[in-house]
Amino acid sequence: MPTRPEGSGPLLVATDIHRHFEGMRAVDGVSIEVPRGQITGLIGPNGAGKSTFLAVVAGTLPASSGTIVFDGEEVTHLPAYARARRGVVRTFQLPSEFARLTVLENLMVAAPINRGDSLWGALMGKSYWMRDERRIVEQARGLLKRFGMSAKESDYAGTMSGGQKRLIEIMRALMLGPRLLLLDEPMSGVHPSIVQEIQYYLQDLRREGLTILMVEHELHMVERLCDSVIVMAQGKVIGSGTMASLRKQREIVDAYLVG
Amino acid sequence: MTNAQVYYATNLLVYAGVDIIACLALNLQFGLSGIVNFSFIVFQAVGAYTAAVLSMPPDSANGAFQTYVGGLQLPFPIPWIGGAIAGGLLAIPVGLVVLRRLRPDYQAIALLVLSVIANTVITNAVPLLNGAAGIALVPPPLSDQFDPNTINYQYFFVGLTAVGVALAALVASRIVNSPYGRSLRAMREHEVAATAIGKNPVQLKMTVFIVGGAIAGLSGAILVGFIQVWAPSVWLYPETIILFAAIIVGGRGNNIGAILGALLVPVGFEEVTRLLVKLNIGPPGLIPALEWVAIGLLIIGFLWFRPDGVRPEARRVFEDAPITEDLESAHTS
Repeated sequence: MPTRPEGSGPLLVATDIHRHFEGMRAVDGVSIEVPRGQITGLIGPNGAGKSTFLAVVAGTLPASSGTIVFDGEEVTHLPAYARARRGVVRTFQLPSEFARLTVLENLMVAAPINRGDSLWGALMGKSYWMRDERRIVEQARGLLKRFGMSAKESDYAGTMSGGQKRLIEIMRALMLGPRLLLLDEPMSGVHPSIVQEIQYYLQDLRREGLTILMVEHELHMVERLCDSVIVMAQGKVIGSGTMASLRKQREIVDAYLVG
Repeated sequence: MTNAQVYYATNLLVYAGVDIIACLALNLQFGLSGIVNFSFIVFQAVGAYTAAVLSMPPDSANGAFQTYVGGLQLPFPIPWIGGAIAGGLLAIPVGLVVLRRLRPDYQAIALLVLSVIANTVITNAVPLLNGAAGIALVPPPLSDQFDPNTINYQYFFVGLTAVGVALAALVASRIVNSPYGRSLRAMREHEVAATAIGKNPVQLKMTVFIVGGAIAGLSGAILVGFIQVWAPSVWLYPETIILFAAIIVGGRGNNIGAILGALLVPVGFEEVTRLLVKLNIGPPGLIPALEWVAIGLLIIGFLWFRPDGVRPEARRVFEDAPITEDLESAHTS
């Protein structure tokens, strides 16, 4: 379950992040701050470097240069799994469910504390880890109930619809008890009815104090969900503020429409 | 049963046991974790050589007709334990080189190449393990106390093999059915996503690679104690392919499938072709050559028509799971 933000100042500070691919500057000197307990939107035209930046923050892509400080701790050189364990958890633009695990297992596998989740623990046998397993089943079922997917728990995740896979991914991320949730276009390719649901769930999570940084294309959605918005184009940040204030800035509107 | 029949049956049972142990190990790596270990047979060979040189007398014995390192004459079960440890130890450097940075398809190629290199090295570095001729007169377990040339010893060896199978099955089943096994399956399904939820893929792969290597080593140690010889010709890389065929036919990711595969392919399939050879059909060498064609067709056929194998990986339903919709509709109709 999401924890309430502690400490003060922004939860995430990224400074002068560069990410180059063979000379192509996908992210070119991005510096942003993600405030605690808010939903921050990351928008921009295709190829602006939003998803690459998100991957750099999550650690699934290393930064070429720059620093990332999460809750006062520099995490720039930590691998993705270590950042996830600290509470920086991402979802993916493309469906990334564990197809041949059941829906329930997709959630359970993400539980960070489980005595049976090591070679040694496994060899010790069921009695050694059964108590943890019971707790995790309960936790996962709680999430499934909240997201209206209880009936699907024993189905293979690979057989779910695009929207259901999105929900699985969000629930899976929540199993870790994230402190910063990074969402990469959570609504893309999702049926409008489920878009509404996801929006509702995200607002709910925000109310509980979870900090979210999300890449999203659909501007009306961004306007409804995000407390503040960062605009990227061609690997750089070209503006930030509330959606309403951004709409008034000529160059940002141009970059979005032209780019 | 006549003596010949008993020898045949016990021979078959020991081979079945060895193949089952090997398939359980390969299933942990390939079926459960998605590591395409094309050098699997090397780990069995390392276990066999280690068990051999731990149990044999120094190479000056028997008129020094063969050369090898070791020759420690250690009592049973030290050679078997040593074989398993050697398989596990070999997995460490191999895993660290291959499994950390390479993409999975390149991992498979690197491991295949490793298998070829290892065989070539052992074949040519004669002082090490007697080269292409291989080592012979490996003492069977406890042969200093029992006469190995008796029928009772055959039964005894089947019993020893069964202990090995039970041990390997226990380890494999605890891993497959544990939360750790679930993490391995998640990594197999989507490695980047597994990383994003806090799994360290290198650690997961290394541990299962080492355990698989150790079990493979045990299978080699058992086999060498039974056939009493070991040479590069018995662990050429195609032997690995047969075990892969077994896993694919039996069913990836579950131990029952691995055991079934071991019984169907290396035991059943090879036994049938061995009998066919005795019928003297066609020119000499035709049937063994066709055997390889058949193994290839078997793999392709299963991947095409029944990719999950004879016994597919079971879907895990947890206690008190809600009844799914199809079941509900089945109830109402």
